[in-house]
Amino acid sequence: MRRVGLREWWRQLQYIGDAKSGTYVGTDQFGNRYYENRNAEEEIPGRHRWVDLAQHEYNATQVPPEWHSWISHIRKDPPTQDTVMQNLTPPWKAPYYENLTGTRGAYKPYNTAVPKISAWEPKTKARS
Amino acid sequence: MFPRARLAVGLQRRIVLAPRHNSVQAPLVARRLISNSSCTNAQHSHRHQLDELSSAIDERKSHAAHLRPREFDEKGNELNPYRNGPSALDKAVHLFFFTEIIRGMWIVLEQFFRPPYTIMYPFEKGPLSPRFRGEHALRRYPSGEERCIACKLCEAICPAQAITIESEARLDGSRKTTKYDIDMTKCIYCGFCQEACPVDAIVETQNQEFSTETREELLYNKEKLLANGDRAEAEIAANLHSDHVYR
Repeated sequence: MRRVGLREWWRQLQYIGDAKSGTYVGTDQFGNRYYENRNAEEEIPGRHRWVDLAQHEYNATQVPPEWHSWISHIRKDPPTQDTVMQNLTPPWKAPYYENLTGTRGAYKPYNTAVPKISAWEPKTKARS
Repeated sequence: MFPRARLAVGLQRRIVLAPRHNSVQAPLVARRLISNSSCTNAQHSHRHQLDELSSAIDERKSHAAHLRPREFDEKGNELNPYRNGPSALDKAVHLFFFTEIIRGMWIVLEQFFRPPYTIMYPFEKGPLSPRFRGEHALRRYPSGEERCIACKLCEAICPAQAITIESEARLDGSRKTTKYDIDMTKCIYCGFCQEACPVDAIVETQNQEFSTETREELLYNKEKLLANGDRAEAEIAANLHSDHVYR
């Protein structure tokens, strides 16, 4: 609390439920801020990377995949410094969106192939 | 730092007291972290370490198993075989004063004053492997062409028979899938499909947060799988790159 200030401490208690302080690592395109504290005396190892989600209706899937691999401890470096991930980012990368289940944007399955059975469409010759 | 421990102490007291209070308390608590303390709770007894491996069945099967072997010193006098163990008085003290229970409760008390190990989930996440098998995705080549060539090896190897593929030749003559459905309710996440794939088209991403409210949203089709791959291509490619030396 003394390090992050009263306002940030109150916000952390409302969201994370725990007072944490660490070095700022980066922000993703949604405004989520990522922090790290690798001092084992202050943070339990395994809790040393965390995200301050921007939205009030927070959701674990609001973290984009690049930062997801950092916060899940898959990649050592954050995507802002990870040259491997930057080089492998294709130009056709689609914009990320969170898990939209329960909303109108939820995925609905549909058939991508031509149906094999078609209904009978009666064709009648015009009588002369 | 250690909010749970502080809550036990009392939040108001902490605020009123000067930072000196914290600096006194911190090394006391910090020294007891599991990550930097050696394992001394277990009683190490070197007498129980065997010199050579043996099944010891013969000793246990014999009728005199409860008798210790008789020992003699160099003069021929018989020695007490229990002379190195705890005395009867020690045993009685530990029995009647419940020292084992008190020692166990002391460990519980130590844990109470340690910082919690709980991972606050949506904000902190547990470690995942780059080989983690989560939601499926269909990848594309760096040119943007979809990788899947409809060889149907994944469909053949899928033990849950969750994959359905139909293919057609495209106008440029290449064989592509028209239907690539994965029933995620059938899938057992064994990873055989991504191992069977000759072109690394079907992969299981590190995304495990694809829970849905309805069952039908888990019946993925080709467009959904391609969209998963388009969104997470950087992560997938980086994970494959970090594992490429083992493949």
